[in-house]
Amino acid sequence: MSTTLALARREITGLFYSPIGYIVLAIYLLFVGLLFSLLVMQPGAIADPGPMFQWNHLILIFVVPFMTMSLFSEEYRSGRIETLRTSPITDFQLLMGKFLGAMGFYCVVIASSLIFILILSLFGRPDYMTVLTSYLGLLLMGMLMVSIGLFFSACTQHQILAAMSSCVTLVALGILFQAISYFLGSALGVSWAWLRTLRHVLRYLAIEPHMVNFSRGILDSQNIVFFLTGAGLFLFLTYVVLESRKWR
Amino acid sequence: MSQPAEIVVEQLTKAYGKFLAVDNISFAVPKGMVVGFLGPNGAGKTTTIRMLTCFMPPTSGTARVGGFDVFHDSLKVRNNLGYLPENAPLYLEMRVAEYLQFRGRLRGMDRGSIKKRIDEVTELCWLTDRKRWPISKLSKGYRQRLGIADALLHNPPVLVLDEPTVGLDPSQIRETRKLIANLAGLHTVLLSTHILSEVELVCQKVIIIGRGKILAQGSPDELKQQCAQRGSGARLVLEIRGPADQIRSALAALPGIEQARTISDNAVCTVELSGKLDGAMREQIAAMVQQRGWALREMRSAGASLEEFFVQITDPGAAAAA
Repeated sequence: MSTTLALARREITGLFYSPIGYIVLAIYLLFVGLLFSLLVMQPGAIADPGPMFQWNHLILIFVVPFMTMSLFSEEYRSGRIETLRTSPITDFQLLMGKFLGAMGFYCVVIASSLIFILILSLFGRPDYMTVLTSYLGLLLMGMLMVSIGLFFSACTQHQILAAMSSCVTLVALGILFQAISYFLGSALGVSWAWLRTLRHVLRYLAIEPHMVNFSRGILDSQNIVFFLTGAGLFLFLTYVVLESRKWR
Repeated sequence: MSQPAEIVVEQLTKAYGKFLAVDNISFAVPKGMVVGFLGPNGAGKTTTIRMLTCFMPPTSGTARVGGFDVFHDSLKVRNNLGYLPENAPLYLEMRVAEYLQFRGRLRGMDRGSIKKRIDEVTELCWLTDRKRWPISKLSKGYRQRLGIADALLHNPPVLVLDEPTVGLDPSQIRETRKLIANLAGLHTVLLSTHILSEVELVCQKVIIIGRGKILAQGSPDELKQQCAQRGSGARLVLEIRGPADQIRSALAALPGIEQARTISDNAVCTVELSGKLDGAMREQIAAMVQQRGWALREMRSAGASLEEFFVQITDPGAAAAA
C-alpha cells in the first residue's frame, strides 16, 4: 500500500511540477466559469448549480486526456519504465499508483470549481446536499475518464497519440453517442425494434444521462454502476496491456 | 569455484521472432565478485541483463539471482537487486534527495532507514553537495552517479550496472571505476561494458558475449593466456644489435617459430616473432642470441592484450575465417 501511495504521490507532484498541470487547471476553471456565468449566475434565477455539473463533462473530456497522457507513455519513452519494473512492485501496484495519482490531481481540478459554489452562496442558498452528490458524480465520472486515459497511455510511448485516442473515446462517450441516440429518436421517426435497442444502448453508454441524476441530487445505483464498471473495465484492460508488454 | 554463485544463468535464450538476441548462454557470477560482461554493441548484453533484472522474461532457460528464479520469484529477485539501466533514466523534475526517497519507498524501506541510507549513498557517490539540486540541472556524470546511488540505496547483495561509465568525462570515469572496485566483497556486481580497460581495471572475472553467444569467460589474466595460447594474437618483439639478415634467419630456424619479420634493420634490428612463444622458447632465444655474440637489448610480448583478444573473437569476419 505504501508503495502504491508513493507512486501516486509522485504522479500528483509530477503534474504540479510541469506546466501541463497548471494549463489543465486554468482551462478547466475558465470553462466552468463560463458554464457558471451563462447557466447558473443569472438575474432572478434560483441558486441551483445543477447545470454547471450536468455539463461539466463537456469540459473534462478535453481536459482529462492531457492529465493522463504522460502517465505511462513518458515512462516508456524515457526508459524509466525499466527502473519501475525492476523495483519490487507488482504490475497491480504500478497501475493503482498511477490511477490514484491521476485521480488525486483530478480531485484538485474539480475541487477548484468550489470557488463558484462559494460565489453562489454569497447571493443565495444553494442546496448543499445536491452539491455534494454532484461532486460525487464528478468523482465517479472522473474514475471512468482517468481509466480511459490511463489505458491509452499504457498503449503507446507517444503522449500525443495517447491524448488524442483518449480524447476521441471520451468525445464518443460524452457527445457522439448521445447525439446519435437523439437523432435516431427524433429525426427518423421510424420504430424498428433493433433501432430502439441501439438507441437505448447508445444512451446508456453516454455520460450526460448519468450525470443528470447526480446534479439533481439523485443517487441512482444504475449511474453509479455505469461509472464503476466502466472504470473497472478500462483498468483491467490497462493491466492486460501492462502484462502483455513484458512478452514483447 | 569455492564461493557460492550469486547469479546463475542456465541455457538462457531470448528470441525476438526468429532473431535470437541471446542464444543459449550459461554462466555464473560468484558471490562478492565484480564480473565484467563484455561485448560489442548489439551483442545481447542489455537483453541478458533485462532478463536477469526481471524486466523481460526469457524465451527459454532459467536464471537465478541470490537463489531465486527470475521468473517464478521475480519480486524476491527484485528485492535483492540494485539495477542501473543504460543511460540512467530519471525523473528530471525531482530533486536528488526527493528522488532517492521515492525510490526507497518503492522498495518498501521505512522512513528512518531511507534517511540514513540517502546520507550514506550520496556520500559514497560524491553527491552530498548536490542533494537539493533538481535532477534536470545535473550534468550527465552526476545523473549517472545518482543512478548508481539509487541502485545501492537498499543495500542489495547483487548489483547490475549497464554501462555505468558511458558519457562520463575521464576523471569521472576514474572515480566511478574506483567506486565500483570498492563495492567488491560487499556486493556481487555484474557490470556490462564495451570498454576493455574498464574490465581489466575493476573486474575479477570477464564474460565475453558476441552475437548472443558466450565467446569466452575467465579472469582477465586467464583470458590473456588463452589469447597467447591461441597463438595468432601473441607476438614477441626483439631488439637485437647485430647483422639483420643473420638474426632473422637464425630466429626463423628455431623450432616452433612460425614467422619472423624484420621491422627495422639499422645498427640495431627489430624482429617480430609469432608462433609458440612460451617461457622455454624465450629462454632459448636469449641463450642463442648470446651464443652468437649479438646483444639482446629488449624482448617484449606484444598483442596479448585483452583488446586484441576481444577484437579477434567478436569480429564475425575473423570468426568465419578461423
